[in-house]
Amino acid sequence: MKTDQVLEALQTALGESLLDAHVVERIVAGGDDRTTYPDLWVKVDRSALRDATAALLAAFVPHLTVISGDDLGETLLLNYHFTVGWGTHFGELCVTVQIGVPKSDFRVPTITDLVPGALTSEREKHEFYGVVFDGIPDDRNLFLPEGMTIHPWRRDEESQRETDTMVERLVKWETKDA
Amino acid sequence: MHNERINLDLGEERTCGLTSYSIPIGPTHPALKEPIRFSFDIEGERIVGVDIQPGFAHRGIEYMGMRRNLIQTLYLSERICGICSISHPLTLVQAVEAAAAIEVPPRAQTIRTIIGEVERIHSHLLWAGVGAHELGFDTLLHLTWNVREKVMDLLEQLTGNRVDYAIPIYGGVRRDIPQEKAHLAYEALEYYNGILQQLIDAFLHDKSVEMRTRNIGVMTYDQAIALCAVGPTARASGVKKDVRQDWPYFSYADMDLHAITPEDFGTDAIGDVYDNIIVRLLEVAQSIKIIEHCLETMPSGELQSIPKVPALLAALKKAEGEGIGRHEAPRGEVFHYVRLEAGVEEPVVWKVKAPTYSNLMPWVPKFLGDEIADIPIIAASIDPCMCCMDRVHLVDSGDHGRRAILQKAELIKLSREKTRRVCG
Repeated sequence: MKTDQVLEALQTALGESLLDAHVVERIVAGGDDRTTYPDLWVKVDRSALRDATAALLAAFVPHLTVISGDDLGETLLLNYHFTVGWGTHFGELCVTVQIGVPKSDFRVPTITDLVPGALTSEREKHEFYGVVFDGIPDDRNLFLPEGMTIHPWRRDEESQRETDTMVERLVKWETKDA
Repeated sequence: MHNERINLDLGEERTCGLTSYSIPIGPTHPALKEPIRFSFDIEGERIVGVDIQPGFAHRGIEYMGMRRNLIQTLYLSERICGICSISHPLTLVQAVEAAAAIEVPPRAQTIRTIIGEVERIHSHLLWAGVGAHELGFDTLLHLTWNVREKVMDLLEQLTGNRVDYAIPIYGGVRRDIPQEKAHLAYEALEYYNGILQQLIDAFLHDKSVEMRTRNIGVMTYDQAIALCAVGPTARASGVKKDVRQDWPYFSYADMDLHAITPEDFGTDAIGDVYDNIIVRLLEVAQSIKIIEHCLETMPSGELQSIPKVPALLAALKKAEGEGIGRHEAPRGEVFHYVRLEAGVEEPVVWKVKAPTYSNLMPWVPKFLGDEIADIPIIAASIDPCMCCMDRVHLVDSGDHGRRAILQKAELIKLSREKTRRVCG
């Protein structure tokens, strides 16, 4: 898969909503060769997430590996790790679509109607960060117990304190007989 | 909930009001090797709905990793899974090496490939044994697991451990496979080349196995794509997706690999349990060839680009950037994302994605329409690994009208108190 093809598809669909794009060359030193292979990272406006997903779907058969999160303080960065071009020998390209979600308006449109397999990842980000996915068909906690309101992966002071207190209680109980 | 029509297989369809029942299975159940809860909606014997609730083995590993230095995190990552224990460290090292721009010597890449493939042989044989057990063929379980012992011995001989081999390190590997040990690997490969056909015959040419697995637990090609299935689960549905083929890394970058599907067995992909057996057994043969290739073409040279641990830690502490790592583990794609900040020893962000995470949703179409008695083998068919996917077991409780979280040890205390209470 050519990086240019993917970039062109995204640029055509998103226009100015495509905020940034860069390629990272990955060094692969095999048995007798040393080659680099590209990974593509793009940053898009939150409002263009669905358009970016639709553009990948229209031009390729994308696979959503997972959505990762990074609490930057005022904003949560969500990384949608797609791959396109799988099924071909060394033809797969990792395309990470990044969006910033301000905590003052902590909402993201769901992509589960476009990529049904995104549900697991969206539910996990919802419970671990508290971000709301508009239109998600099922927003119950997946890995954390029902009703647990602590968001362990957030870095704001209150969430950190609650999570650390929870972990300290566990450590105290685990080591009290030691 | 009522089902209006039911075929009683008497040559005619009858209409009756059949009550639908909900059957909870798990989190602990004889058919499950690890904790997970399924809630099945059942009409008669037929599954018409399923809700899957994981999380019972969530240990907060990513939270722990983001509070430890990168070398401690590497060893922690090896404890995510006890079966494919090298899959997560192999993936984490790639992500960190990408973020910190650390190169890896070719010999180390080859050794990583060999250990990864040796692990695939043991994991697929373990799964085949579990599958046979779920079907009630315990003789086949014992045969398969006896055959598996040879590869466990090889892992011990090559790495010093049967599980948690501690081979990868950022920028290389910690142990060599010297020439004098290569013959051990050749011996094991010769053994598997000789016995694999016997296993294929026992599983794939046995009428009983076929009757219990053909057209059971079906996921179509389109469903596998839409639900983002990975690994043998996806390939059994004809999806030719394999990170080793698609995205070059390690010594796979020098090989002409192809994703194994049922077509390699001469049959069309149906996506049922039988096809899952085909893919995994043929992948054992593929792993044997990969290991042979690696042994024959083993490059000379260094094992680590930064051999001293203090120097490595210092280099990692200076690194700034983000990186992804991917590895085709026995169950499918493992994915790690890390972000490093200069001056910080810990990974600022560490996200782990295990194969079972991706294969949770594919379970749904596999269960629907099948019978209660098929639940164990369908559950086993994706080769689930909850400890990989879940990563503090917490239970909700009432606390003076306020919701609170109880942890494991507190629950044990409550349980022991109740035992004393009810026993007087």
